[in-house]
Amino acid sequence: MKKTLLILLILSGLGKLAVAQDFPYGTITEEEMNMKKYDKDTSAHAVVLQEYGKARINLGNDDNIKVFYEYHVKIKIFDAKGFDNGTVKIPVYNNSDGDRYESVEGITGITYYKDDNGNAQSVNLESKTIYPVKESKHLAYYNFALPGLRNGCVIEYKYKLESPYWWDFQTWKFQSDIPKVYSEYEVHIPAFWVFNASLKGFLKLTRSTAEIERQCFSAGSASCDCSQLVYGMKDIPAFVEEDYMTSEKNFLSAINFELSDYTNPYTGTKTKWTKEWKDIDYQLKDEFNFGGQLKKKGLFKDRIVPVTAGKTDELSKAKAVYAYIQKSFKWNEYTGIYSADGLSKALDAHSGNDADINLSLVNALTVAGLNTETVLLSTRENGIVNTLYPVISDFNYVIAKLNIGDKSYLLDATDPLLPFGTLPLRCLNDKGRVFSLDKPSYWMDLNQPQKEKNTYTLDFTLQDDGKVKGTLVHYSIGYEAYKKRKKIKKFNSVDEYVEDLNEKMQKTKILKSEINNLDSLELPLEERYEIEMNLYDKVNSNRLSFNPFFLDKTDTNPFKLTERLYPVDWGMPSEDTFILTMHLPANYTIEAPPQLMNISLPINGGKFLTGYEPADKSFTFSNLIQFNKSVYSTQEYPYLKELYNKIIQSEKAEIVFKKK
Amino acid sequence: MRPIIITFFLFAICTLAEAQQNFDASLIPKELLPYASSVVRDKEETVEVQGLDNTIYHIKEAVTILNKNGDDQAHIEIEHDKSRVIKYVKGVVYNEFGKQTAKFSESDFDDNSAWDGFSLFTDTRVKHYSPSVIQYPYTIAYEYELRLKQTLGLPDWDPTPEIGTAVEKSTFTFSCKPDFNIRYKENNITSKVTISKNLAGLKTFTWQAENLKAIKNEPYSPYSKNYLSSVQIAPQNFSYYGIGGSFTNWSELGKWIYDKLVADRQVLPAETIEHIKDITKDIADPKLKAKKIYEYMQYKTHYISVQLGIGGIQPFLAADVDKQNYGDCKALVNYTQALLKAVNIDSYYCVVKSGRAFKVGMPADFPDVEGDHIILCLPFKNDTTWADCTSQTNPFGYLGDFTDDRTVLACTPEGGKLMHTPKYTTENNLQSRKASFVINEAGELSGSMSTIFKGAEYDDRDYLLDEAKTERVKMLQKVYALNNMDIESLDLKQDKSFDPSTTETIKLRARDYASLTDGKYYFMLNPANRIEEPPRQVRNRLNSVYINRGHTQLDEITYSVPAGYHLEKEPLNVAIDKPFGKFTATLTLTGNKLLYKRHLQIIDGSYSKDTYQDLVDFYQSVVDADNYTVSLVKNP
Repeated sequence: MKKTLLILLILSGLGKLAVAQDFPYGTITEEEMNMKKYDKDTSAHAVVLQEYGKARINLGNDDNIKVFYEYHVKIKIFDAKGFDNGTVKIPVYNNSDGDRYESVEGITGITYYKDDNGNAQSVNLESKTIYPVKESKHLAYYNFALPGLRNGCVIEYKYKLESPYWWDFQTWKFQSDIPKVYSEYEVHIPAFWVFNASLKGFLKLTRSTAEIERQCFSAGSASCDCSQLVYGMKDIPAFVEEDYMTSEKNFLSAINFELSDYTNPYTGTKTKWTKEWKDIDYQLKDEFNFGGQLKKKGLFKDRIVPVTAGKTDELSKAKAVYAYIQKSFKWNEYTGIYSADGLSKALDAHSGNDADINLSLVNALTVAGLNTETVLLSTRENGIVNTLYPVISDFNYVIAKLNIGDKSYLLDATDPLLPFGTLPLRCLNDKGRVFSLDKPSYWMDLNQPQKEKNTYTLDFTLQDDGKVKGTLVHYSIGYEAYKKRKKIKKFNSVDEYVEDLNEKMQKTKILKSEINNLDSLELPLEERYEIEMNLYDKVNSNRLSFNPFFLDKTDTNPFKLTERLYPVDWGMPSEDTFILTMHLPANYTIEAPPQLMNISLPINGGKFLTGYEPADKSFTFSNLIQFNKSVYSTQEYPYLKELYNKIIQSEKAEIVFKKK
Repeated sequence: MRPIIITFFLFAICTLAEAQQNFDASLIPKELLPYASSVVRDKEETVEVQGLDNTIYHIKEAVTILNKNGDDQAHIEIEHDKSRVIKYVKGVVYNEFGKQTAKFSESDFDDNSAWDGFSLFTDTRVKHYSPSVIQYPYTIAYEYELRLKQTLGLPDWDPTPEIGTAVEKSTFTFSCKPDFNIRYKENNITSKVTISKNLAGLKTFTWQAENLKAIKNEPYSPYSKNYLSSVQIAPQNFSYYGIGGSFTNWSELGKWIYDKLVADRQVLPAETIEHIKDITKDIADPKLKAKKIYEYMQYKTHYISVQLGIGGIQPFLAADVDKQNYGDCKALVNYTQALLKAVNIDSYYCVVKSGRAFKVGMPADFPDVEGDHIILCLPFKNDTTWADCTSQTNPFGYLGDFTDDRTVLACTPEGGKLMHTPKYTTENNLQSRKASFVINEAGELSGSMSTIFKGAEYDDRDYLLDEAKTERVKMLQKVYALNNMDIESLDLKQDKSFDPSTTETIKLRARDYASLTDGKYYFMLNPANRIEEPPRQVRNRLNSVYINRGHTQLDEITYSVPAGYHLEKEPLNVAIDKPFGKFTATLTLTGNKLLYKRHLQIIDGSYSKDTYQDLVDFYQSVVDADNYTVSLVKNP
């Protein structure tokens, strides 16, 4: 989804007069007070009546450049389920190593309600009920709950925030989990600074004006004009999350600002922040915790020699190095594109973020003489990257790209169970930017040939006592094998895993088990069970019905909505195959074979297929469910839903055996 | 030269002390390894009461982590606040062979707000640390000391840690001056206490546990305190946030709570008192008066938790709740009491241990500060009524399954007393469903279905209240596993009387409900109330079977099916009768009317551990019956 719209900040100078201003605080109309529901969304428990924000870059009292941000909102609350809008947490960040928190002041709040006699009243937020909470070294909150909430009340609050982190200009989210009647953001940016603004989501601005504010900024002897930009949106629907979607960031209507360049007002030095990829390449190369770490090859020389000893071809060297790095680190579950404290410290601590681990991997592979690049990407949770122009802050993850001949492999060493060349689901998100110390960077598609694949092969014999005995072989292939290994490793031993499996299946007894390739990460994981199942109490009736989907039957459609707003995103294709051979007792024949199915999604998007082959005293039944795409668009959604409907229907049908 | 010698001397002692313990992982007794991902090698907890405002709590522990699943046991978390101060913390990491590989101290810990996920504010913070070790097994040994500026909530001893951890040795020592009286309670302790006097002249009580195997998760287990070892200690004289007190029985403890924490916090503004008098002036029956006041409180307030200092156990002033319209459970009960007092209705502030999974009461034989929730009791003559003040929707007198059927401490001006909250019985907890459907030639299902919820199930649909139809439909599609369900109309009625009930009526349609294959119809007999999986089996079960709450389900569904068909298989006919439950399910076809009846009853109580397999079999029969597929074949 490329709905990113570029709003140019080049001013014609003839912009309409922007008459944005905050709405008055402390007043309420009769209409707002008496509102019973929100006509445009009658399911809303609350609606934002008005919302206004303003951000301006200016000098602080301490002569430091800061962003001065103001927020003001008025919300109608219809019922108790909207009360959580009256509990507010204002986050403040400290993006420094020291104690440079953003500061908040002037929190005021008011609740308007009708008292027990139906008279309009209001009550103010008391400052003693505002609680500052230091959450961690880098995050604190101001928490407060507006007083006097009751059904039908209106709350209003505002505050000011001062941030020393002007390069991290405040994003404005037009959309939230409740609808909004109107939301407006006013931005003042002195000409010393240039930002790129981008609008995300499907919704359109109903107001967008730009004008020049003369001589609005001065620092020392320098002064300049400002761009005064106003963005407004009317009738904003609530954002409702759907199942199987990626980050809401990809779809939520919001406006982001990315610093392009700035001029130091005191010295006149112009600094390009992000302008073109070559600038970013240069900046990354120079960055101590990125390019700086990629130059630390020395750290790995002695470590890698024994790892690759005896390995002659490039691929086996690479695999050895990959396994070595996987085993050398424990991922601390933090993500980012920069090493936290340098690779040397991370290596000593055996712990680090993705960058510590994968920059180590790039270095180690390079030291082993392999052509390796670094790929910057954004995880699924973090949203899709903007490919129109460079936005370095969009990226939050780093992996390695190894090139051998004309083949390349994407590698992530944060998880010791990942096979060579397989990426974790979190990384499969549109595009990544490939970076190396000596070449310009470029985009690459992160869609990997990896798949989730299961095959089940069963060979069963129905016995005279009504029990079914036989073997079940299950191969978990590709990403499915990784997931299965993770599941098995949650147990202290394979025996405990099998015991657990056995205990979960009431009618099935595992007589013998064998699990192969548990530690051979690149091979399919094989589970082989000899089992006995109680299918019938006893075989004495003339006819027996048998559902061949007994192993894993789908009863309900995972897709319930009539239509979707956002695509279904599974991350990768999948395929399940099931082949059952059933041997019958001599005195039985098959009365009714199953009806065969062959249904496909349009444009080879997937299929459901069943097969049946009778033989003497036995039959083979097979089925295949295949989804060939990672992402299904909203247009494809009805077909996907219907395919599931057909699967469910056909899985109800039974095969009937009859006594001769 | 002298100082150096002293230093050396001290150093030598330290080394010796450290060297005494060998944390080589291979020394762990083999019988402790099954189901263990970590093993506590040695844990020593000591509690020393030095004064009423000064308790020293010292913990020293060495735990060996056998594989990745045990990493959580190496994670150290220490809660602290102004009255629970960390004096020091330090530790060492050893490799598989017991060789030291790393050291850590307080500066390696992160400090975060101990936010519980729902409070607006809490002043408790947590220091935490995880070692990063990639080679298993490894051992982490650490110790820390806390100073507790109180003696009311003295630390208990729970030597059995989480599931998956075995214990080689764990000891607990409590010491105090000879004149500091305590009572203690041993739960499932095999080696009894050793009482002696130490060198400093303090009384000491020591307990020890050895070679405890890792426990496995066994479904339907009783409350853990009923079968795991623990020791509780309660003081006689104590101080809490500077407030002194003394108790040896529930009466004295309840009186202290009432006098010191609640009594003077129930003053209301005159206009609120007037308003309350006004809205109740036409009601004569005190119970109905109280109902009116409770409903007023529900309408006016909502739940917000703020836990600050002694406010952790003391309610907000009633006047503050009156102004802010919010408070936590204590504050809202205290406020409601104040409102009731305005019309001279007596009520009790009751401390309860809340929870749905188990019903845990205050033990009559061991008065101690326990409980995590406050509810309201109204002692009407021959009609004791209970209420939870944190709900905006419960009918007056309805407690629900969070606080039902357990012993609570009522704190009154005359002293504390133990009372028991009402029980929702197997018969009370009812879900009764009636439906009448038509399945047409195309396999489409249509008709209406009506379900009544009572007892502890009364509030099962509360989350649908206040939602618009579109939202309700989305939510119900997740409740009913009825494929292609299209809800045409939905009605939810609540009877908020003293025997409350909720009635849900749905008109629905589901295309392709029955699939037509080779001239046969197949469909699920039980459309709305299937149990999909029985509980897991447990080999070598240790615990007895405990069913916390009974319930009854009645389903009666009629289907009109296309005429001229007969059943292909034997019709469903199941009847099981066990001490812990009953189940019947029948299917009859008369003409083109198919009648399905299902009756499931689960009876609460404790049963022997051998009953467990019976319970699994019982549920498997229910699962089989619930998944019965009707197949209809055309008459010849």
